[in-house]
Amino acid sequence: MPPSQLKQLKSSLRDSGVVAPQKSKKQKRENAKSGAGGQERIRRNAALEAIRDRFNPFEIKTTASRSKFDVTTRDGGSKSADKNHRPGVTKSLGEVRRRETLLREMNRKNKVGGVIDRRIGENDPTMTPEERAAERFARESERRLRKESMFNLEEDDDDEEFQLTHKGQSLSFEDGVNLEDYNDKDADLDEEDSDSELPHKRKRVFEDEDDMGGAADGEDEEEEELPERKKSKHEVMKEVIAKSKFHKLERQQAKEDDDDLREELDKELPDLFGMLRGVKPPPKPEPPKDDMGAMNPERAAWIEGGPGKDTEKEYDQRLRQMTFEQRSKPTDRTKTEEEKIEEEAQRLKKLEEDRLRRMRGEESSEDEESAKEDASDVDDMGDSDNESVFDDAKAFGFQMSADQTTSRPELAVEDEDDFIIDDDLVETRSDVDLSLDGSDDEASFVEDSEGEEEDAQEDEHINGLTIPEGESAATADGVQIAADGLAYTYPCPRDHEEFLNIIKNVAVEDLPTVVQRIRALHHPRLASANKSKLGRFSAILVEHVAYMANQPEHPPFAVLENILRHVHSLAKSHPEEVSQAFRRHLRQMSAERPLNPLPGDLVILTGVSVIFPTSDHFHAIATPAHLTLARYLGQSTVNSLAEISTGTYAASLFLQYQEISKRYMPEFINYVLNALCHLCPKEPTTSLGAFPTRSPEVSLRLRATKSIAPRTLQFWDMSGPAAGAEEELKLSLITTLVKLLDTASDLWSDKSAFTEIFTPAHAVLTHLVKTWPAKLSKATVQATLTKVSTHLSQAHLHRRPLELHHHKPLAIKSAIPKFEESFNPDKHYDPNRERAELNKVKAEYKREKKGAMRELRKDANFVAREQLREKKERDSEYERKYKRLVAEVQNEEGREANAYEREKRLRKGQR
Amino acid sequence: MPSLVDGASSSKKRKSVKNATAPSSKRRAVAETDGPDAMDDLLRLEEQISESRKHYNNIATLISKLGADEDPNLAVAVSLCRVFSRLIASGSMTEASHSAENEKIVVAWLRERCREYQRSLAGIIRKGDASSQITALTLAMRLLNERATHLHGEDIQVWISGFFKNIVEAVVEAKDGQALRAEFVEKFAKQYEDVRYYTFTQISEYASSERDEETLDSIISIISAIDTVPEPQHKFETFYSKASKANKKVLSYNAHKKAAQDAWLAVLRGNISQSQRKSLLRIMAHTIEPWFSRPELLMDFLTDSYNFGGATSLLALSGLFYLIQEKNLDYPQFYQRLYSLLDADLLHSKHRSRFFRLMNTFLASTHLPAALIASFIKRLARLALNAPPTAIVVIVPFIYNLFKNHPTCTFMIHRETRDPAHKATLEAEGMDDPFDPAEQDPLLTGAVDSSLWEIHSLQHHYHPNVAAIARILAEQFTKQWYNIEDFLDYTYQGMMVGELGTEERSFKRVPVVEYQIPKRIFTDRLLQEDGGLDTAQGSFMRGLWDFA
Repeated sequence: MPPSQLKQLKSSLRDSGVVAPQKSKKQKRENAKSGAGGQERIRRNAALEAIRDRFNPFEIKTTASRSKFDVTTRDGGSKSADKNHRPGVTKSLGEVRRRETLLREMNRKNKVGGVIDRRIGENDPTMTPEERAAERFARESERRLRKESMFNLEEDDDDEEFQLTHKGQSLSFEDGVNLEDYNDKDADLDEEDSDSELPHKRKRVFEDEDDMGGAADGEDEEEEELPERKKSKHEVMKEVIAKSKFHKLERQQAKEDDDDLREELDKELPDLFGMLRGVKPPPKPEPPKDDMGAMNPERAAWIEGGPGKDTEKEYDQRLRQMTFEQRSKPTDRTKTEEEKIEEEAQRLKKLEEDRLRRMRGEESSEDEESAKEDASDVDDMGDSDNESVFDDAKAFGFQMSADQTTSRPELAVEDEDDFIIDDDLVETRSDVDLSLDGSDDEASFVEDSEGEEEDAQEDEHINGLTIPEGESAATADGVQIAADGLAYTYPCPRDHEEFLNIIKNVAVEDLPTVVQRIRALHHPRLASANKSKLGRFSAILVEHVAYMANQPEHPPFAVLENILRHVHSLAKSHPEEVSQAFRRHLRQMSAERPLNPLPGDLVILTGVSVIFPTSDHFHAIATPAHLTLARYLGQSTVNSLAEISTGTYAASLFLQYQEISKRYMPEFINYVLNALCHLCPKEPTTSLGAFPTRSPEVSLRLRATKSIAPRTLQFWDMSGPAAGAEEELKLSLITTLVKLLDTASDLWSDKSAFTEIFTPAHAVLTHLVKTWPAKLSKATVQATLTKVSTHLSQAHLHRRPLELHHHKPLAIKSAIPKFEESFNPDKHYDPNRERAELNKVKAEYKREKKGAMRELRKDANFVAREQLREKKERDSEYERKYKRLVAEVQNEEGREANAYEREKRLRKGQR
Repeated sequence: MPSLVDGASSSKKRKSVKNATAPSSKRRAVAETDGPDAMDDLLRLEEQISESRKHYNNIATLISKLGADEDPNLAVAVSLCRVFSRLIASGSMTEASHSAENEKIVVAWLRERCREYQRSLAGIIRKGDASSQITALTLAMRLLNERATHLHGEDIQVWISGFFKNIVEAVVEAKDGQALRAEFVEKFAKQYEDVRYYTFTQISEYASSERDEETLDSIISIISAIDTVPEPQHKFETFYSKASKANKKVLSYNAHKKAAQDAWLAVLRGNISQSQRKSLLRIMAHTIEPWFSRPELLMDFLTDSYNFGGATSLLALSGLFYLIQEKNLDYPQFYQRLYSLLDADLLHSKHRSRFFRLMNTFLASTHLPAALIASFIKRLARLALNAPPTAIVVIVPFIYNLFKNHPTCTFMIHRETRDPAHKATLEAEGMDDPFDPAEQDPLLTGAVDSSLWEIHSLQHHYHPNVAAIARILAEQFTKQWYNIEDFLDYTYQGMMVGELGTEERSFKRVPVVEYQIPKRIFTDRLLQEDGGLDTAQGSFMRGLWDFA
């Protein structure tokens, strides 16, 4: 049986040394001297506290379950496992806090009137003094910024600005004194308030309550030492906004300054030009009035004032002129002829390499960045694969109209085509433009590079006679007619109709001259707007080529060629416009007449072969052009010789396109073989191959009755043969188609499926040779047949089984469990980041909810208790009052009763 | 009753006026010029008939006024219909057993007139113009209804062997009868279940005898328009004639299906033409098959069609496959036949995507022999060499999927020669393709020992996207499978639009321009500078073509 409580207490007091045997006076003195007494006291207090705790088992609460399996964790289980809670302390602390907040609120409920403290955060116990100060400061600066808008006239200067003041003194940080004041004040506030205010946000305090326990006493002291609280997100955002507004304003200011400066500089530009030229513009004998009006006012003033008026200024100007005067600078060494050739060869080599790279479909080095972007795009697509329905076909670029993956144009655009636009000419023009000499005769500067000097001179002469009125009218009209019927100036047309209008009276042969003149007149160096004008003009030229070729009178090909070369030259400087024009044409073609192209369309397609690199793996114009050809070859009918001529032209164009890159086109081989089958003198009895057959409505077989010789095909054979020349045309077509096969077999000789491609061709050729009319020479066919046979045997020799999959073998998916180095069971190792985040938030929500509910319950208890207390107070008050009244009444009554008794007795006594 | 008939017929008249074409309106105008008198006359005659039986001779007068089949007097036809309807409703045409001799004579006479009237109605349906045909049909159906309702013992007979048979025949044989047949289907056959049932019965009977192509065409158009197959639990309630409710057959779901099935079978057994066969195969799946409670009856038709070859076989494929799969049809030559369908024209035909969808199902099984799959792969690759890009785009992913399912076949894209002796012969002599394209049996073609050089060559297709697709066979097979459906429906136009877009958009990257300056494009410009030898760009074209 354990000893009694009293005995236990005694023994523990003794054990801990609280009750010690009496010390001698000497010892006491020594202790006092060494200061051990103080230590002793502290130790004693602690020991007493411990004993008190031990003897009151309800003061300390230990966790119900012991912490388990310490071994599995590294950091010794949960942090609070060894700590004991003190429910009593916590409870009383909560009670105190409630009395401070909730009770106050309760008492204030349903009360009207009074003084409300509207200072920011003054009544909010969840705010620390620092927060409060920060909030006030933020509010102030915000207000200041809001007022300081650009157009606010009233708040322009800083003095009138609204500010927080203290005793009429500004509270902002403008001067050191104020700053100090502010800090002092702040610190004071801190100390004053720290007693009455809750140090933390409520939530945080209550959360910590459980494990803080006894430490709560020391909390207030700790609070003061805490670093300044982190700003809330709201405040931070506000500050950021304030800052960015400020910077914006600054930028605007700077921009305005720049503008002013630039304006000033612009004003001086004409002077600068004058100086650059080194010669003063010849003073006009009689400067006309409008000239002055058009002039820069400063300059006008100067001219009017005369040079002698402001000598200093003039001196300055001269000085400047001298500083800007061109001096001979050391230039690069003049290159020798060999070096030039070498350089040119290098350049061409680089261009060719670029072309080959594009042909292989690789990105050029400059494009790698954008390629990366593209790749990331693709990755994105791959990601979306998981969720949404993903079109397999799209991965290969089908229906990707927006993706024009081509490389950049060469930037250095040189006009190397034979249209030399004289540099001198351009320079002079610009001079004239700047020299304010409005009446200059434009045409006199337009010289033709093809040597029309005499014309030009003559022209000058003419101009000399005719200026000014007549000519200005003419220029306004835009066309000026010279002696040979060709004008020297043409306006730059804005659309094709306008262009047609301009060249209405121009002979077809003179068209190149007109085009050249327009280009010279609107050279980009002459005016900034000219670049876009020429861009439009180049698009018009593309349109015009097709238009001309469609005309029934068949314009000479020299002209078409010349214009196409112009287009090529323009394409270098205006690649975008020209490409768009071509694409527009192709689009129109595919929408309106995919299967019966006009001559113009074929000329355009021919133009594509020289203007764009058709060997590119992908090209925004070449690829659709290929497709257009393929579509025609694959789907057109073969009902007449004209149609076959067109097809033959398309087929030859295709080979032309693929001259370098040697790609394969199934439609080509189908078309050629089919056409040959239907042109050859006898119908083949068996199928000659897997190519699909399309039969003409009427027989187109060669029926040579007399000896005829094949000729070179004409472009205009497409409109059908002349009467009586059908057989000749048929023969020529056969010859050309055979030649095409010949070339194709050369182009594709290294294709692995050459055998499969050309076995049908071989069969067709053999059939052709077999049925060839005796009267005609079969040299071409025979030669091609031999060639194809040779190629076929070569292909047979070189055929090997395919070995496409020399890839590294794919790794088998690993299923080894993944070990975490520093595993912590409290942490969640969810590989899915989003889910982990979600779980975290969920857990937090749950915890918060639980806490809030507990708090609310406690609050409700507190309120009920308080109400009960109040009610009891009221009741006891009432009771007291009642008793007092009763006593009073009884008192009175008693007296009266006594008086009555007395009276009664008196009366009795009397009687 | 008369008033009801009046209202209905007048509404019909209005309709016929609306429908009337130019000549009929003219005729109507003529009728109206002598209109009032004639109409009055008609009304008077009609009145008299209903008043007393001694005016029955008016019926003969009216019938005589009816006119020729090609140009009937519709007003007379309408009033005759009214007259007979009244007579039938009032029982004047039923002969009671106890009635007197002269009574019987009158009834017989009336019946004779009625038959005469029916004959001329059928005649009008056959030969009249569109509006009168429709009016006559309406009148005939009305009269039929009266007969079925009121005449004792005729409620079924009139449908099976009597008047309705004539009507159906007339409708089928009517010349220029598209509108009429549409009217018949819309207003009667589709709306009323008894009419539908009896139509099928009549047609199965009618079509079982030899008919010419045109008639079959109209039969097909009628019965294919009736495509509302009832549900098994369907309650048959919408009847044209009230009397039909008593008929057990019309109330039975199975009887309905059987009637339709018989009708279709009769049609399919007839000597249908090639184009009819194709159109029937086209509607087979959603119009014909639902009517069949025993689809295996279609077996003969489908196998015949499949053996036909070409597009017809293509169309028969799906039905046949259904029968093989579900009804245990044994068709040993199926894959051989399928293989033979892969010919030069397949990839260019408009049924291409349909065929690929089906073939995707047929070859889906992983239990098929590798030799067979290899033959299909090789054949497809061969065809791809001459195919339009739109077809190549389907073929390559298709082959990819086959390779994924049948890894044995991947030797076709990767075969290393290990045997040194064999290697030496290869070096010295090259090799032939072990694949025999002429072999009919896909199990014997030797395609497994071959290689897919065709697809390898298509990696150099002129179209970059097609080339990219052809390249997937050379990459590692990391993707599980390609969804063939995504590749099926491309066209040249679609690809053009894909390349060019529908409207102008600025380039992301400006296209490259050829750096070489074209010295000449069409002409021999400055040729002497090059020493008379044209080697510049485009010389090939200038060599072949003369631009002048």
